[in-house]
Amino acid sequence: MTTLVHDCEPTLTDRQVIQFCRDGYMEFPSEVAQDVVDRAIAFIEDNPDHRRQPVTLLEEDWFLEGLIFAPAVVGAVRSLLGKGFQLARMLANHDGKCPEPQPLGWHVDGGNMHTYALNYLQVFCLMQDTTEDMGPTELLPGSHFILGQSALVSHYGAIRGTKKCVGPAGTVFITCYPIWHRRSKATAASGTRHLFKYNYARTSPPTRDWIIEPDFDPAVDTREFSHLEHGGLFMRRNILDCYDAAHMYLWLCGLEREMRYLGGHTWPMPNNTDIGEMRAAPPSLSTTPDAWRPDAPPI
Amino acid sequence: MQNHQVIQDCLDQFDKGTLTREQLSEAFDQVLPRRCQDLLYLQAAETGLDVRLIGMRMLVNGELWEPEDDDWPYSCVMDAIKDGWRVISFPNMSLSLNENRTYGLGFEFILEKCQ
Repeated sequence: MTTLVHDCEPTLTDRQVIQFCRDGYMEFPSEVAQDVVDRAIAFIEDNPDHRRQPVTLLEEDWFLEGLIFAPAVVGAVRSLLGKGFQLARMLANHDGKCPEPQPLGWHVDGGNMHTYALNYLQVFCLMQDTTEDMGPTELLPGSHFILGQSALVSHYGAIRGTKKCVGPAGTVFITCYPIWHRRSKATAASGTRHLFKYNYARTSPPTRDWIIEPDFDPAVDTREFSHLEHGGLFMRRNILDCYDAAHMYLWLCGLEREMRYLGGHTWPMPNNTDIGEMRAAPPSLSTTPDAWRPDAPPI
Repeated sequence: MQNHQVIQDCLDQFDKGTLTREQLSEAFDQVLPRRCQDLLYLQAAETGLDVRLIGMRMLVNGELWEPEDDDWPYSCVMDAIKDGWRVISFPNMSLSLNENRTYGLGFEFILEKCQ
């Protein structure tokens, strides 16, 4: 098996990187061609012993080029994980039978770690047109910042603001590994829903080498960090959503040492862009990098 | 049928010598129905009883149930209390002692009904 290291140009912008930090996932509709999806499903049907772990597909060039390294997806992965990211040698197929009246319990996958670092990504690919009645994966946006192991969250049921991973075949969802998810209940009378799951890993240090937008300034446009301002659920202390997303963004920029929790109306509290740069923005993002900045030791 | 009448019918049949084991078993089920605890998990955005709910799940008649989409039977804990649910557990504040760390979903109330 060849080493599954890949390199390509980053395709995400600053705003999109922040969006991922904030929401914990990103969606790419119909990114994998139908014929690639069909061929992969045919492999599953022809090789029932590999039905749930079709890892041998990772030996196939058509599969790697068409699905694993689909251009828009790897451009996003490259933006988030840096140069020379690697594919983990695992491929799972979650085949869910329909109907299934009870949803799975909410969970985070084994091996998760709650951190501002982004060293790997978990990816889901819809292997057929997937509708709500087929029991699609359900995510809780923003939950990658909530500390909760699977054993503590499995009794939860309906949660407001969730995202059901529906869409045409070949739709890909890139997720932050510790995001809460589950299979929702399936009301369809028959059939099987297939979902491929795989991981990419970082092999280089984080740096802000994605697309820099000339009309976007992260020291000014701090609303981008706010989950609440983008329709997110109020799940945590006010403004903590901004701090957490900003902290992950700075880590990805290779600037985590500049992250400070200052409170009050300082960066990254949501800002009215008319007033310009937010007070105490990180030096490397600021127009006044040498200015004095406050510190705020926690009690 | 009132419990008293059920017992009286059994006694009448016993006196006539026609009471069967099945009739007596049915009478037991009517007079002493199996009590089943229903549970309601509610996660509120804050600790207040009138605060918007962000999560919900029920155990009713031994079956797990959760609302579809936005069609939720209660909008806050107080609504559930008004509907006869009794609070048996208030939110665990030890999960909120560090203001910068969030454990779990919102503030969880557990309520019960006995049928």
